[in-house]
Amino acid sequence: MPNVTIHPTGEVIYLEPEETVLSGLYKAGYAYTIGCRRGGCAICKVDCRAGTFTYNRPIADTVITAEERTDGTCLSCRAVPDGDITIEMRDGNVRLVNPFLRQINDKARQRAEALARAQADMAGATTKE
Amino acid sequence: MGVMRLGYAHVRVTDMAEAKDHYANTMGLYETLSDVSPEGANRTFYKAWDEWDHHSVVLEEGGVGLVKYGWKVQYESDIDDIERKAQTFGVTVERMSKGENPEIGDGIRFTTPSDHVFEVYHDATLIGTEVGTHNPDAFPRHLVGVGVPALDHSLITAEDPGMMDRFLTEVFDFYATERVQTSLDDDADIIATWMTSNNQIHQLAVLAGPQGKLHHFAFRLGDWTEVGRAADLFSMDDVPIDVGPTRHGITRGQTVYFFDPSGNRNEVFAGGYLAYPDRPVSVWTPEKLGKGVFYHARELNDAFTSVLT
Repeated sequence: MPNVTIHPTGEVIYLEPEETVLSGLYKAGYAYTIGCRRGGCAICKVDCRAGTFTYNRPIADTVITAEERTDGTCLSCRAVPDGDITIEMRDGNVRLVNPFLRQINDKARQRAEALARAQADMAGATTKE
Repeated sequence: MGVMRLGYAHVRVTDMAEAKDHYANTMGLYETLSDVSPEGANRTFYKAWDEWDHHSVVLEEGGVGLVKYGWKVQYESDIDDIERKAQTFGVTVERMSKGENPEIGDGIRFTTPSDHVFEVYHDATLIGTEVGTHNPDAFPRHLVGVGVPALDHSLITAEDPGMMDRFLTEVFDFYATERVQTSLDDDADIIATWMTSNNQIHQLAVLAGPQGKLHHFAFRLGDWTEVGRAADLFSMDDVPIDVGPTRHGITRGQTVYFFDPSGNRNEVFAGGYLAYPDRPVSVWTPEKLGKGVFYHARELNDAFTSVLT
């Protein structure tokens, strides 16, 4: 499932399926400047540097302009990654405020990666037979 | 007496189905009409249980933020009076006809110096409160969610709150109950103002910020216990809480700030002392602004001044 990499620090955060970037970062113990968490105030924008995402709700044109829909602007409270993505914070850095949650997220990512490897191995074994 | 109250707040929502769930099932408003605007947008009209006019909240699908406010005046002649005063202030006023807003009568419409659209009207279709007028009970038995009794007030932003203070004084006969100023000097700049026409502690507040923006609109509650219960319900319904439950130093009201599913900020507000036009205005200075806004945290969070729709 999607990993969000934060440029330039390189931290990797694991997201559950259908989870937004904002929700994933907060659940993993990170904090940054956010507002309404419902797509209205436009404060939580980040830049998407690699990968793609989809908005899980309609976004007002006053919040994301036509230009911002194609220039990598990512309204993080409504953006669900399509696969792995790399983002960069705009105003100030993301802060790790809860290392405990960070550890839990790391373990979840390792489990998901191990499961994906196991499934790939199984698929490989089936193909050989 | 001129303006009696904030009659309706008309706001935009990105998704009508989610918005209806919030305003009907979490807030407990009563839907009175659902239609499509002449421009083709879905609209839903609501009243709260202790309100008697047809609606106090209008949702319009498409975008976020404010469409307009409606202000209800006591006498038909108040409309002409306000029209004249607005023109004297230098504002262009247009007439609106009965039915331009469903169930609302003739009136006027103008854009304020803060770039907000105000409508002033005298007639609205009377539906009646949910407890009626004949030997009424204290509250309806089957309230839904928070079960707010009424729309209360709103806070908007403007580049020049001092100008809006003068505008509301001269055009609406409002008076300020509290202000935030740069200093106690006579020539201090007004950073924010809380204004009313009657004993309600504020009907409209104006905070320094961008033109034409909505900070929040608020629903009335009775006391601390109801504010705390509202916050509990917001957790049950996954409503993002911005701040609270806490008290405002300014107005002394008890509050929760929260967001609707489109990101428009709402508030539930209880208490606040009785306002009188001859009561000396309470003045807050910037070093105590945090305490003025959030009496317990005593710090302004960055969202208070930056998160708007």
